[in-house]
Amino acid sequence: MATPLEGRAYVVTGSGRGIGSEVAKLIGSLGGNVVVNDPGVNLDGSGSDAGPAAEIAKAINDEGIGKAVANMDTVATPEGGENMIKQAMDEWGRLDGVIHVAGILRDRMVFNMTEQEWDDVVAVHLTGFFNVVKPASIIMRQQRSGRIVGFSSGSGMNGNTGQANYGAAKAGITGGVRCAARDLGRYGITANAICPGAATRMTQSVPDASRDLRARAGIGGGAPRGESIVNQLRDAKYVAPMVAYLMTDQAWNINGKCFYVSGGNVSLAHDETPYRTIAKGGTWEIDELRALVPSQLMQGTSNPAPPPADLDLPGRPVAKAE
Amino acid sequence: MGALDGKVAVVTGSGRGIGAGIAKLFAKEGAKVIVNDPGVNVDGSGGDAGPAQEVVNAIKSAGGEATANTDSVADAAGGENMIKQAVDTYGRIDILVNVAGILRDRMIFNMTQEEWDAVIAVHLKGHFNTVKPASVLMRQQRSGRIINFSSTSGTLGNTGQFNYGAAKSAIAGLTRVLAKDLGRYGITSNGIAPGAATRMTQSVPDSARQLRAQAGIAANAQQPVKESQYVGLREPEMVAPMVGYLASDDAWNINGQIFNVAGGNVSLSHYPVAMRTIFKPGLWSMEELDDAVQNVLMKDINNPAPPRDDVEVPGRDVPARPLA
Repeated sequence: MATPLEGRAYVVTGSGRGIGSEVAKLIGSLGGNVVVNDPGVNLDGSGSDAGPAAEIAKAINDEGIGKAVANMDTVATPEGGENMIKQAMDEWGRLDGVIHVAGILRDRMVFNMTEQEWDDVVAVHLTGFFNVVKPASIIMRQQRSGRIVGFSSGSGMNGNTGQANYGAAKAGITGGVRCAARDLGRYGITANAICPGAATRMTQSVPDASRDLRARAGIGGGAPRGESIVNQLRDAKYVAPMVAYLMTDQAWNINGKCFYVSGGNVSLAHDETPYRTIAKGGTWEIDELRALVPSQLMQGTSNPAPPPADLDLPGRPVAKAE
Repeated sequence: MGALDGKVAVVTGSGRGIGAGIAKLFAKEGAKVIVNDPGVNVDGSGGDAGPAQEVVNAIKSAGGEATANTDSVADAAGGENMIKQAVDTYGRIDILVNVAGILRDRMIFNMTQEEWDAVIAVHLKGHFNTVKPASVLMRQQRSGRIINFSSTSGTLGNTGQFNYGAAKSAIAGLTRVLAKDLGRYGITSNGIAPGAATRMTQSVPDSARQLRAQAGIAANAQQPVKESQYVGLREPEMVAPMVGYLASDDAWNINGQIFNVAGGNVSLSHYPVAMRTIFKPGLWSMEELDDAVQNVLMKDINNPAPPRDDVEVPGRDVPARPLA
């Protein structure tokens, strides 16, 4: 299995830097040909730079077994998405996989988030996923083969402070993957999601002050701070093998799933199936739910961001004085 | 004495179906309700002030308080306006329930940009458009309830609903972030993945269900065929009590959860946490991953839509590698 992707063609969005570049390079070293897409924008989506995509494409052409071409289109428009798929077809006459890694950040607490911050993040991540999957799915369906990987995030699957736009878009990608898996599985195509953990330009943009604030408020989540020893095992390159494996023939029957990949850990995410159920042969009364929900349904679960003890909250049992 | 006495609620998409059931129950429990519904068709076209007004009339004739609103949640001004109407009319906003939604089902390879955009605009952007202004006020008053509508089409997946499933899964993700952004201010955010016999679910043709069944594609388990006796146990009103409970003071500490509610069933959803893990202290090779993924990570895990028998699938006939 030295060159399992030989002769095949892949589009990797956002592969000029970080995780995307590692995925593109690994695919190239396994024999695959790659459209290295990256408009080279700043983390917030502003600016542009042909350098990153060209650099990775050159690295693959110099060192890989497969070939690479650079692409500067944005995934945020349907034309951009279609164009990068077309480029793979023009270069190599086929399309074996599309991997959507491209993403930007515009973090803000929801009560301060602007419409622009919401729109920009949803456009790149979520609509960007549609923009590449739609044209790719037409070709893959005709070929009766293909691989789709969407990059989701623990920020959406488990929730992360200050990321209403990003978390929603990322969870949306997982939902899209689940639906694409069902639309396309019968044609020999698979669609899966990756929730990566890695020390990249993106995760290092989180200020340490906000990590401290969250910790004090008892709110979990987020990437480790820059100097954490954990980051030695969170290099972006560790995410690439599982993505490349999903491209191989061996992964033909892995479909509609979400994987957490960080360092040497690869986990299958639990489907969001019912966990506990209360049932009644009729319509519930609120009083019945008042008795059963806390004792049966919610037992042992916790509030991910509990209100502080000094907040006057109707319904909360008053703490007894010592 | 109602569970929601003195509260003010905005319920989007409450002119019909599940939303109407929630608005009526809220009013019965003592809440004052903004009944929002532009009265569009299932695909979002048209517009009719009738449905919202009819629900308001029904609430008033039962002795409750309600006001109609026909704004669209799909634009920021519409979302802000219905929150503003609650404050202008009743002086505050305690509860926001986001039910409004449309459908534009299509297989992904045939889906148009317009079908994608319209569904994302109403469902996903529609949630942001109401949540943003409501969260500003709720944070200031240090209390509030946000109840969003997700769907198993997104949390589990469904054929022909790439747009709807993505939006609904995104709403679950949004809900989990809201829980963390707003929990410390005494606000809870939860999601409902409902099952009910409504205008929306009845728009799925039975032929589509039959096609899915023939292809061995796992269908949405909460969506039985129209003539099923089970439909009688899936009245849209049956979704309302759990929403009412989550909106009440008693549910002050239930936050960031997704509940499946259909008929008399109320389920807490699994968080999509790591279920199984393989680990290597270093970089995996393809061969190592093949061993560990096939034999451990994905063992006995099904493909929800396996390739048809007549599709030549490289790798299908290769026996799994034995565990090294």
